Amino acid sequence: MSEHCDDALANIYNYLDRELEGDTASVIRGHLEDCPPCEHAFAFEDRLKMVIRQRLEVEVPSEFLNRLRQALRSERT
Amino acid sequence: MADQADFEADAMQFAPQLYTAAMRMARNPADAEDLVQETFLKAYRAYHTFEAGTNLKAWLYRILTNTYINKYRRASRRPTEVDLGDVEDLYLYRRIGSEQSGEASQSAEDLFLEGLVESDIKQAVERLPEHFRMPVLLADLEGFSYKEIAEILDVPIGTVMSRLHRGRKALEKALWEFARNRGLVPADEVES
Repeated sequence: MSEHCDDALANIYNYLDRELEGDTASVIRGHLEDCPPCEHAFAFEDRLKMVIRQRLEVEVPSEFLNRLRQALRSERT
Repeated sequence: MADQADFEADAMQFAPQLYTAAMRMARNPADAEDLVQETFLKAYRAYHTFEAGTNLKAWLYRILTNTYINKYRRASRRPTEVDLGDVEDLYLYRRIGSEQSGEASQSAEDLFLEGLVESDIKQAVERLPEHFRMPVLLADLEGFSYKEIAEILDVPIGTVMSRLHRGRKALEKALWEFARNRGLVPADEVES
């Protein structure tokens, strides 16, 4: 672990969430290209985020959407 | 100023996403439906105050979040606001990895991620204290930017960052515990 690794790790979420300024992001991107352990760790966190999102999705009942439209329309009158 | 007559056409496209978020907030379909319906009715009535061309999705989520907080936070027993403390970085990654290398092997990662069942993830998210759960939902489920989350929750952006980051780590810790209970990972290790 170098200090570059520490810097990258401290910013892992900001980086994966695309919240960093261009310069800071490119420094990290450069480090990830040079450092397979960090690259691997970042890739894992990114996959985890994706898996969580996918498994939290729920199907909205279509009857509910109809009821919602109905409620809006009765509000209008 | 937005025209109330356009509300249905403008806003209905966001209903399925709001329902998903409402499910994770209210935790059951009946309450989630109530929450979304109340949100839409409030938004409809206030639509003349919405500035057309600005972020409608974020505006709706702000109403959803406030509605949830006003409606359910008071009704439910106050959740034990345990201080989660600081969970270390890369909590899951370091545990999935072999002790020898400290680096997770691809197959161990695959096994873990594929083994995470929907119900575990849902429960782990639902059990997060509210001030962590909201930013996690808004960022990871909805893909809002930190700035948008700050506006939706009406807190400074620095607060969003610290709650989101700590919330994610707490979530990782909870997922590890679920995985251990399922025997997905060895149970004999003593965690500090």
